[in-house]
Amino acid sequence: MKILFGILIFLILWQIFSVILNVPLILPSPYLTFESLYHLALQRETYQAIFSTVWKSLLVLLIVIAIGTPVGFLMGINESVYQIFRPAITVVQAVPVISWLALVIFVWGIGWKGPVVISFLSLLPISIFTTATGVRSTDRNLIEMAKVYKVSQIRIIRTIYLGSLVPFIFSTVEVIIGDVWKVIIVSEYLCGSDGIGVLISWARQYVDVPRIYALTIIAVALGITSERFVKFFFRKALKKWQIQS
Amino acid sequence: MANTILKVENLKKDFDNLSVIDGWNLEIERDERIAMIGPSGCGKTTFLKIIANLDKNFHGKVEKNFERIGFVFQEPRLIPWISVMENLTFVFPDKDKIIFFLRAMHLEGFEDYLPSQLSGGMKQRVNLVRALIADPQLLILDEPFSSLDMPVKFGIIEDINKLRDQRKFAIITVTHDVKEAILLSDRILILSKRPSKIIEDIKTNLQKTERDISNTKFIQAESALIKRIFSLSN
Repeated sequence: MKILFGILIFLILWQIFSVILNVPLILPSPYLTFESLYHLALQRETYQAIFSTVWKSLLVLLIVIAIGTPVGFLMGINESVYQIFRPAITVVQAVPVISWLALVIFVWGIGWKGPVVISFLSLLPISIFTTATGVRSTDRNLIEMAKVYKVSQIRIIRTIYLGSLVPFIFSTVEVIIGDVWKVIIVSEYLCGSDGIGVLISWARQYVDVPRIYALTIIAVALGITSERFVKFFFRKALKKWQIQS
Repeated sequence: MANTILKVENLKKDFDNLSVIDGWNLEIERDERIAMIGPSGCGKTTFLKIIANLDKNFHGKVEKNFERIGFVFQEPRLIPWISVMENLTFVFPDKDKIIFFLRAMHLEGFEDYLPSQLSGGMKQRVNLVRALIADPQLLILDEPFSSLDMPVKFGIIEDINKLRDQRKFAIITVTHDVKEAILLSDRILILSKRPSKIIEDIKTNLQKTERDISNTKFIQAESALIKRIFSLSN
């Protein structure tokens, strides 16, 4: 109920500012925006764009976790590996999206690969460092206990290290799911062949500002829904990981 | 020698330039119970780690005549995301044996519980079961009762002594509590402050029936031990 009230206040403020400003090219009214959203809802290409952005985001999430987790695990478990890889990953993390863009357009041109690769490179360091931190923060007392009882290294890795890692993998997914949409849409805008970012780029060319706002609402809705879904699901799953001594 | 489970000669341990253990000599027999009392930082836990092979960086001779050891840690050290049964099969796979010890420690029916669903006393009992299932020849107790209330503590001590009478394993207990030390030992070693030495080796000489905190002989032994500790520390 409170959320609905909050949304209502937001819409009222939006309407007031759009009237005061009276420049639809900068801030169209909520009415114009929702009218545009309604038109978008009737067009097949909107759903194709949403589908395209969603699958690219899921693909990026999957490969970021699939590559970031094992690399982060090795870095966490072995100090030398950590020191060797850290500079390279820090550099990858610091490179601006626009620099990747130049490289990606040279190699693949316009298409789906560019947004996926750019998003992957932007998000991979988060996954690697979060996983490495997870492994490094594994409870040393548990490892010591396992050594007293001569438990095999494989069992220690499987039960203690991987177990400690689960909350960190979950938090990586939580962080990435919030960012992946934004990164994918920006890269679609810059070098994509389809997706919400491409629709925004077309709307910009036609100076159709209400359409840009309407597409932004779709992007925000996708981001919030996925984040909420992941949080709800993980909160349940993580209950047993709550460490109580 | 055949009856000796642990022999320590001139054991010394330093941390960088800080000398902690300064020439301990000690011999423990196969079914003997010893307790160690000493000030914080005098190397009690370090000594237990040396026995358990967790610390190999020391001087002197440590002769171990045992293959299996049980270690009851100060804190339960249970893996939080797996059940009680999984915590136990993690170190020893024999479920029948686990169930036997869970029953002996009054934990039957809690096999599928997560550690966070257990009370402090129950967690320490699981810690103890984990130490017992491997059929240890030497059981190490590193201040495991410090966070437990009296009835729970004495209940667990009674169970340990019962099992020890049946299975005849040696026990080394590290504690600050004089009552605990007497209940769980045939011999009590008093340690000096750092760099520590064994300054007294006292036999408790209590019969099984006298190991009861309300027994007159127990109370006398307790009072004598407290006096001795005070006179040594002054």
